[in-house]
Amino acid sequence: MNLFGITDSRATLLGTRSECPRCRSIPRISHGLCLSCLLRTGAAEEGNSGPEEFQAALDAISVPDLHWRLGNYEILEEIGRGGMGVIYRARQRHSRRIVALKRVLSYHADSHDTLARFRREAEAAASLDHPNILPIYEVGESEEGVPYFSMKYASGGSLQEVGPALRDDPREIVGLMAKVTRAVQYAHQQGILHRDLKPGNILLDGRGNPLVCDFGLAKWLDASSNLTRTLTIFGTPGFIAPEQAAGPSAELNRAADIYSLGAIFFDLLAGRPPFLGEHALAVIHQAAEQPAPRLRSVVRGADRDLETICARCLEREPATRYATAADLAEDLERFLEGRPIIARPVSLPVTAWRWARRNPGLAGTVAACLILGTLAAGRQFQSRRLTAAVEKEARAAHSVAVLPFLNLDTARPDEAFTATVAQSLETQLLPFGPARITLVTKANRYWAGTASSDDLKEANRSVNARTVLTGSTRHRDGKLRVSVRLLSAANGDPLLTQSFVLDQGKAAGPDSLRDMAGPVYSILEAGDWSRMTTQSRDPGWRDPRAREFIVSGRQLMFRDTAEDMDRSLRCLERAIELQPKSALAHAYLAATASGRIHFSWDAQLLARAEREAKQALQLEPELAEGHRALAGVYYQTGNYTEAVEEQLRAVETVGPEELVASFLGTTFGKLGQPARALGWLELARHWASRPGDYDGLIGDRWTELGDDERAEAAYARSRELRPENTEGWVGLCHLRLLQGDTVAARQLWHENESAALRADPSAEAMKAQIEFFNRNYGVAEQLYQALAARYLNKGATGSLSYESALGRLQQLTGDETAGRATLEKARVAEQASPAGAQTAEALYRLAAIESSLGEIAPALDRLQAAITAGWSDVRSPRLDPRFDAIAQAPRFTKILSNRARELAELRRQASQSD
Amino acid sequence: MSLDAATDAADANGRFATTRWSLILSSLGGETTEKKAREALAQLCRIYWRPIFAYICRSGRSPEDAQDLTQEFFLAVLKGNLLQRASSERGRFRGLLLTTLRNFLIDSHAKEKAWKRGGAVRFVSWDDWMAEAPSQLSIPLAALENWPAERIFDVRWAATVAEEALRRLQDECEKRGRRRVFDALSSSLTAERDDVSYAPLSRELGVGTPEIKRLLHQLRLRYRQLLREGVAETVEKPEEVDGELHYLVSALAAQDDPRVDPA
Repeated sequence: MNLFGITDSRATLLGTRSECPRCRSIPRISHGLCLSCLLRTGAAEEGNSGPEEFQAALDAISVPDLHWRLGNYEILEEIGRGGMGVIYRARQRHSRRIVALKRVLSYHADSHDTLARFRREAEAAASLDHPNILPIYEVGESEEGVPYFSMKYASGGSLQEVGPALRDDPREIVGLMAKVTRAVQYAHQQGILHRDLKPGNILLDGRGNPLVCDFGLAKWLDASSNLTRTLTIFGTPGFIAPEQAAGPSAELNRAADIYSLGAIFFDLLAGRPPFLGEHALAVIHQAAEQPAPRLRSVVRGADRDLETICARCLEREPATRYATAADLAEDLERFLEGRPIIARPVSLPVTAWRWARRNPGLAGTVAACLILGTLAAGRQFQSRRLTAAVEKEARAAHSVAVLPFLNLDTARPDEAFTATVAQSLETQLLPFGPARITLVTKANRYWAGTASSDDLKEANRSVNARTVLTGSTRHRDGKLRVSVRLLSAANGDPLLTQSFVLDQGKAAGPDSLRDMAGPVYSILEAGDWSRMTTQSRDPGWRDPRAREFIVSGRQLMFRDTAEDMDRSLRCLERAIELQPKSALAHAYLAATASGRIHFSWDAQLLARAEREAKQALQLEPELAEGHRALAGVYYQTGNYTEAVEEQLRAVETVGPEELVASFLGTTFGKLGQPARALGWLELARHWASRPGDYDGLIGDRWTELGDDERAEAAYARSRELRPENTEGWVGLCHLRLLQGDTVAARQLWHENESAALRADPSAEAMKAQIEFFNRNYGVAEQLYQALAARYLNKGATGSLSYESALGRLQQLTGDETAGRATLEKARVAEQASPAGAQTAEALYRLAAIESSLGEIAPALDRLQAAITAGWSDVRSPRLDPRFDAIAQAPRFTKILSNRARELAELRRQASQSD
Repeated sequence: MSLDAATDAADANGRFATTRWSLILSSLGGETTEKKAREALAQLCRIYWRPIFAYICRSGRSPEDAQDLTQEFFLAVLKGNLLQRASSERGRFRGLLLTTLRNFLIDSHAKEKAWKRGGAVRFVSWDDWMAEAPSQLSIPLAALENWPAERIFDVRWAATVAEEALRRLQDECEKRGRRRVFDALSSSLTAERDDVSYAPLSRELGVGTPEIKRLLHQLRLRYRQLLREGVAETVEKPEEVDGELHYLVSALAAQDDPRVDPA
C-alpha cells in the first residue's frame, strides 16, 4: 500500500534535480541516490559483506523496528511509503487505539519548507469531517522534530488492492464511487481540492466503506499562503487531469478532481487507467493530446450509461466535465436507482468540433456535411430521458428555440453552424440546471431572427419556447465572427447579444460558447425581462422630454421630404441639448443628416453626419443605430466597403431587417458584387412590407450577371406587383436595349408612356438612352437637352451624365468644338463630385468622357479602373457612342471580356444558391 | 515481482554457483535440463522487463503496442527459439537480449497486424506495469525525449540493476527487524564518509555516532556485494562482473558520443 503516492512518476516528472556533486551524473533512483555512484560502489575495491556478517552487524545495533515510538505512538509496522513520507500502523499509547501514522522521511526532514508543507497538509486534511473521508486524529511532532499526523487505520486496504476483485460487479463499483464522489463534493464545499485522487488514496474500512485519504496535495481554494501556491505538486499520472500537467502554476479547480474521479471509475471498470505510457510524462502528454478512450472500447460489454459518465468526467476541456462533484454523484445514484442519467453521450456536432480543432483545414466542409447529415435524419436536440414533472416544468421555463443563424457572407441561413451552436449550448447549459433546447429547422430560408418577423411567432408557436436564440456568422480578416442574440419569444425583445471571433476553420464549440451559457441561464431564470433591453439604457430615452424629441425625429426622418427631414434635424438637436450623452439622438441625427443629402448636396452636412455618428458610437460602441448612420455617411461619400462593414456590424447587434437588407443589396451592387447583392436583395424581397419593391433591383443584378431569363422574371414580378413603379419596365427596356432589340425597347417604352410622364427621371432618361444607343442623334439630343433643363443633378449617377451625352451628340452632329467644351464641363463636374470620382460609376462616366475627347490611353486605363472598382455592365460600352474612339482597340475588348468571364462565374454561383 | 529467488544463485558462503545466465547458456548447448534453464530465464525476464519495454516505447510504438510487443518478446524468448538463434554469440545477457530484441522488432513489423490484442497470456501484468513504484528512476525530461532508444535501454538497465540490489538490501534489513536502519541510512549509501552528517542519524536512531559509522560501512559493503551478485546473474563468468559494471557506468556518463558495447 502506498499512501503517499509521489513516487516514480513524480520523481521522473520533476526531473529538475541538480546533478550529483561527485560524479555530475543526473539520473537518480529511490532515496535520491545517484545511480552512477551506486554502480561505482559495486566496482570499488572494497571488501565484501556476506549475508551472515551483515546480519550480525544489524543485530549488534539496538534499533529494532518493534517498540519504536514516535510522540505518543508506538510504531507497529510500515504499511506504506512514497517519495516523501512513510506511513505506519501504530498504537496510541494511552487509548491503545490502532492508528495509521504518517511522517516525513528523515532525509527530507531537514528542509524547513517540507516540514511546513507537511503541517499545512495535515491541518487542511484534519479540518474535514465526513463519513467517507479518513479522519485525522492528531497533528504532532516527535522529540526529534519529525512532524507526523495520525489518522484512522483502515483495515480493508485501498482500492488499488481491492479494485481487481470488484471488476465484475459494476453496481458495487458505482455505489462505491458515489460515496467517494460525495466525500469529494463535501471537501470542495469546504474549499479544499484533493488534487491527487487515485485508487491508492481511497481506503476501505472493515465493512468495505470507502474512506478518501491523503488530502496531502489538497490546496485551499482561497489560499492566502504563498507556500501552498508555489509548491511543485503533481498528482499521479493516469489519474491526474491534463491541465495539472501544466505544472504548479496551473490554476486548478474542482474539474481536476472530477477528472481524477472519472479516471478511478474507469480504472475500476476496465482494470486499467484511461491512459498508459512508458513513463509519467508520456501518460500526461497523452491525456493532454488525445481524447480518453471510450470505456466500451476496453470493456466491450460495459453499460452505455457508465461509458457516458466516464466520458463526461474525462473530457479534456475542464468546462465540459461535470460542473460539480454533486452532479457526478447524482448521475451515479441515478444509475443505481435505475433512473435515467443526466449526462448524454458526446454526440456528433461536439465530436465534429473536436475534430475540427485538430484539422482546421478540412473542417469547414466535412464537419458541415456531417452535421447536415444529422439534421437530415430529423434529429432535434431536445433533452431526453426526463421524467419528473418538476423538471419538465423547469425545462419549459428554461426553454430556448434555436433558430437559424444568418451567414452574412451569403445572406443565407447557416444550418450546420446553427446545429453546432444548439448542441454546444445544450452541453454548456447542463451544469446550470434543466433547460430545453430545441433546434428549429423548419423556419424558411429567409428567416433571420428579426424581432418583428412572423417567422419568430411561427417558430415560437411550433416549439413553445420562452426564448429564441439566433445570430449571425461572417468571415473577416481570416477570422470567423459569430454573433449570438437571445430574444424574448413573446415580443422579440433583445435579451442578450454576444459576439465571438474564432479562428478560421473552427466551428463554434464549447470554448466559444462557454462564456455565454451563464448569462443565458441567468436570463432564463429571470422572471422579468422588461429592464434588460439596451434601448432603455440610453439617457435620452429615459428622459421623457428628450425621448419625445427622439421619437418625433425618428418619425419625421422616414417621411422622405426635405422639409420633414429638416424638422427631424431640429427635433434631434433639441434632444441632444437636453441629453448630450444620448447616443441614440446622435445616431438618429447623423442618419437624418446623411439622408437629407439625397435632396441637395451639402458637404458640411455630410461632415456633420459623420461626426454625429462617430460620437454616438463613442458613447455606445455597439449601438446598431450608430453603425447604420455611419454606414449611410460612407455610402454618400462613395466609400461602399466601409458602408457595408458598418451595416454588417449593426446586423450583428440587432439582426437584419428589410431596409438593412435593401441597403446591403444596393451597396454590394455598387461594389460590383452582384451575386452577394442578390443574396441580400432576396432577403429584402421576402421581408418587404410592400411586395415587389425589390424586384427591379434584383432584375438589374441578373442583367449584370447576364442571366436575362431571371432578369426578365424579376422585372415581370415588379411590373405585376408594383405597376405604379417604373423600375420593372424601365429595367426591361434597358435589357432589350442591351440585347440589341431597339424595336422592342421603344415599343415597351411607348406602352408605358403615360407612367413615364409622371416625371420619373429614370424613365425619361431611358427613352433618351434608347435613341442615343440607336444612334438616332437628333432625337437623342433633344431628349437630353430637355432632361438637362429639368433635372439639377444632370444625371450624374449611373452610367451617364446628360452633359457627357450631349457633348458626344454635339460631336456626332458635326459641332466638334461645342462638343469638346460640353465634355470638358462634364469632366469638371465629375471631378468635383463628392465621391472624389472613385466609385465604379464615376470612373466609368469619366472613361466615357475621356474616350469622347479622344484620350485613348487614359480612357482605357479609366475603364479598367472602373471595372476593378466593380463595374458590372459589360454590354453597354459596346453600344454607347461615347466609347466609339476606343471600341476598336483590342484592349477594350479584352477588358470587357475578362470582366464578362468573372461575371459568368459569379452567375454560376448565384444560380446554384438561388 | 518476487525477490526471494534472487539470491538462490549464490550459495551460503557467498561464492558463485552456476549463475542464471550461465545456466541458460549451457542449456542452449544441451548441458542442463531445459526446465531449469527456462525457469532461470523467466526469472531474469521478470526482473529486466522494464528496459525492454522502455526501448520498444522509445522506438516509436504506442504504450499498448509496446506492452503487447514486450509480452510477445518474452514469450518468444521463453519458447527458446529466439535465443537459440543468437546462442552462437553467447556473451552477456544484456547485450544478447538487446540484439535479440532488435531482430524481434524487425520481424514484428511484418507480423504486427496479425496480432490479437488482449487475448494473449500476460507475462507482466498491467498492475506491475502501472504499479506506482517499480522504479524510481528520475532522468531529465530532455533525456526522455532525445536520448536514442539504446541509451534509454542502458540507463533503464543500470537502474534495474541498482534498484534490485537496493531492494534486496532492504529485504535483508526487514528480515532482521531493522527496517528503520535502512530507512535512515540508505540515503547515505553513496556519500563519502566525511560528507555524512551523523548527528541527525544518531538522533533519529538513538545510537552513538561510532555505531552509525560502523553500520553505514556494513550497509555499503553489503550493497556492493548484492550489486555484484545481481550483475553476475547476467554474465557468463564471474570475472565479467567488473566489465559489465564499467560498461553501465560509462553508459550513464556518455554524452552524445557513440559508444562501443564491449559485450
